[in-house]
Amino acid sequence: MTTKTERLNGKQSEVVDVRTRVLAANEEAAAKLRDRFRAGSALVLNLISSPGSGKTTLLEATVKALAGRLRLAGIEGDIATERDADRLRALGIPAVQILTGGACHLDARQVGKALDGARFPAFDVLFIENVGNLICPTTYDLGEDFKVALLSVAEGDDKPFKYPAIFARAEVTVITKSDLLPHVTFDLDAVSAQVATLNPGGRLMVTSSKTGEGIGVWCAMIEERLTAKRKAHA
Amino acid sequence: MHELSIAEEIYRVSRAAVADHGSGRLERVTVAVGELSAIEPDLLSFAWQALTESGPDAGSTLEVEWHAARQFCAACKSDKPRSDGSWLRLCPDCGTPLAVTGGMELDVMRVTFEPDGGDGAEKGEHDDG
Repeated sequence: MTTKTERLNGKQSEVVDVRTRVLAANEEAAAKLRDRFRAGSALVLNLISSPGSGKTTLLEATVKALAGRLRLAGIEGDIATERDADRLRALGIPAVQILTGGACHLDARQVGKALDGARFPAFDVLFIENVGNLICPTTYDLGEDFKVALLSVAEGDDKPFKYPAIFARAEVTVITKSDLLPHVTFDLDAVSAQVATLNPGGRLMVTSSKTGEGIGVWCAMIEERLTAKRKAHA
Repeated sequence: MHELSIAEEIYRVSRAAVADHGSGRLERVTVAVGELSAIEPDLLSFAWQALTESGPDAGSTLEVEWHAARQFCAACKSDKPRSDGSWLRLCPDCGTPLAVTGGMELDVMRVTFEPDGGDGAEKGEHDDG
């Protein structure tokens, strides 16, 4: 950082060369969370999608499939209500609701506070369900191992190219509500091609929390990633 | 619309930069914003105005340096323009995954401030160390 003086409107002004990432504070908080999750040998997923695409319903199906085998936990981000945390608690999963009061995303400091504040029990897998929004949450690192983008078939098959940032950054894209495919216009191949273009290394899976389609593949992926993380840091 | 949250972070970084060099009123903050940062410059400027208008830094300007998205193909050894405003992740000529080399910026570059006691008369106020 250097300081120099210049004349501006006849006044003495100082110019500070800053060159700091705007989100530096969030990135530091996220790095601390990442260390903490590594120390706890836990896998953390950051779920991002539009409102109503089925994040909580996918988590309910996941809990039913994995509950006996892994210790699961949830952090639920919403503008208002405890509904989502209540739905996970009803299945016996510890869950903290973060109410953002209007903010359209979670940040790493909120997640840290949620983990500190609630005498949060130890977990193998933590699901962070972000505020329903395909844009803003993309910018904020929460210390997760990877982001998951959800897209329900009722939202239309043009969304990856319309919201490229999230589909380019999410390691896994989950198509939800596949049971509705006979009733909507949704070209799965087109979506698949868009995701592959934006994110050549990404995975795409097709699920229905209602019929159970793809839930096994999704849960197997979670178990594989947890095992791989534990092996890498053993 | 997370520009208000981003404006708050920019304000925090800017105020810290001023505090590192004394004290004073913000005049201008220059930020680098990339095309792929998911930030809309006009909304950011509006958020800045809303954030600062009732405080000690009212009237300060947020200046945005815009950085277009750039993607580079290592096989062709050249930048590949985006065809229709969408992202390309594979080279349209040879299919190699492209490296994003520009457009992700979201940085506070410079902070210009008017020091308190700008004529030098009040310098004794600061107790360094």
